[in-house]
Amino acid sequence: MTTTRQTAGPDSQVRIQAVPLRHPGRWVGAGVLGFLAIFLLQGWVANPRMEWKVVGEYLFSPAVLTGLGTTLLLTVLAMVVGVAGGIVLAVLRMSPNPLLSALSGFYIWVFRGVPLLVQLLFWYFLSAVVPTIGFGVPWGPTFVEFDTNMIITQLTAAVLGLGLHEAAYMGEIVRAGITSVDPGQTEAAHALGLTRFQTLRKIILPQAMRVIIPPTGNQVVSMLKTTSLVFAIAVPELLTSIQGIYSRNFQQVALLTVACFWYLVATTVLNAGQHYIERKFSR
Amino acid sequence: MKSLIRAEGVHKRYGAVDVLKGIDLEVAEGEVLAVIGPSGSGKSTFLRCINHLERIDAGRLYFRDRLIGYEEREGKVYELPDKAIAAQRVDIGMVFQRFNLFPHMTALENIMTAPIMVKKEPKAEVRERAYALLTRVGLADKANSRPDQLSGGQQQRVAIARALAMRPGLMLFDEPTSALDPELVGEVLDVMRDLVKEDGMTMIIVTHEMGFAREVCDTIVFMDDGVVVESGPPGAVLGEPRHERTRAFLSKVL
Repeated sequence: MTTTRQTAGPDSQVRIQAVPLRHPGRWVGAGVLGFLAIFLLQGWVANPRMEWKVVGEYLFSPAVLTGLGTTLLLTVLAMVVGVAGGIVLAVLRMSPNPLLSALSGFYIWVFRGVPLLVQLLFWYFLSAVVPTIGFGVPWGPTFVEFDTNMIITQLTAAVLGLGLHEAAYMGEIVRAGITSVDPGQTEAAHALGLTRFQTLRKIILPQAMRVIIPPTGNQVVSMLKTTSLVFAIAVPELLTSIQGIYSRNFQQVALLTVACFWYLVATTVLNAGQHYIERKFSR
Repeated sequence: MKSLIRAEGVHKRYGAVDVLKGIDLEVAEGEVLAVIGPSGSGKSTFLRCINHLERIDAGRLYFRDRLIGYEEREGKVYELPDKAIAAQRVDIGMVFQRFNLFPHMTALENIMTAPIMVKKEPKAEVRERAYALLTRVGLADKANSRPDQLSGGQQQRVAIARALAMRPGLMLFDEPTSALDPELVGEVLDVMRDLVKEDGMTMIIVTHEMGFAREVCDTIVFMDDGVVVESGPPGAVLGEPRHERTRAFLSKVL
């Protein structure tokens, strides 16, 4: 026999029709902000001295697009150096060997302590004090020798400068990732007979990635913008190309608007990717 | 019978605290030994010393007549390098209170990793053995599940299978059922009981399961405050304890 039991009366099913709380302050605030925005935008967009024609002319010009390409290439190369270096630094820092640990600490101290711009100039001008780089016996015969200017071109100086600086920061990020893994994981791996290195590679690093990857995404976005510093050593990336153009036609603001546009496009794409990655790894 | 583990005056201290104050103990091949005692008595620490997860500060600890973690030549003791310590651990399986399965791997991968990486055994062979082990612990259908999809009891059974995959000569159990919900304890104890009955596995079990210890173990060791207070067959230690401390402990847990 089945019985249908009425557990709740029909009255309890009626949705509450409350009058929503009013937020007059929000409307006032939105009005003030809207007014300011229109005022400022009008001053910029409708400014007769702002050459929008020039912006349109250069937005997709080959020089600008090539510069953008170099910016993206620099970002990728510097991050590759930075991430690889960061993993090495973190592993050395946590090594039981006090020499290696101190070496890593020293590196991080130096490369985080000196401004990036100074480091870039340093690598660029290295040939002035070290004209040749060779391989041989110290104080003895040299087997191969290169002109420093041949090896450390502007691009390599830029990649070295950005990448080695980044490595110091990535080292700390990787270390935070490694320490976030439960020590029980190391114990279980050791108890199974895995060596320290095998444990790190197979057990610890894969789990540390959850913690390492989201801030690394931030670092990529940050790196994309930081590459603009290499205009100081005349690497033809986006900002340098833009500068080259406005030094000829004196349309600085118009051309910097072009630069802003492309930086914003690139960071927006990267932020979207970052958002996706964070969601994937937070599970 | 040949002794597998021999401890002579094992000491361990953390800073100013003496955790182990001279442990003398022998475990014979095929023997099943339960270590009981109040928390903080040093029983887990002693277990961890056996596969050198903790290094001992004084005394000698032998596995198959070889020092654990050290090497003795001409009256001097030398620390062993990382690789040699790892090689010693191959023959000693360990099961942890908190399972410590690798969360980024499936149950099957958890079991297969060490035989492939450490023993360099062929993958196909290891896979076959891993399936057999999963079947044995009653989890054949969970081969591709990740640890977070398994209950505590299931995770612990996978952890036991993972340790067995290395074909160890000795199994260490560090409170294997303490982190489990009461209704899941039985399934893990069943697997352990089976290991004793079918394989004659040598086991050292740190546990609070007195009923299980009485039923399965050959010897019970009661530890308190870093020393072995008394040891003997379960009937004697649990039934007619000779020491006041043993009696006091048993009156609380039985």
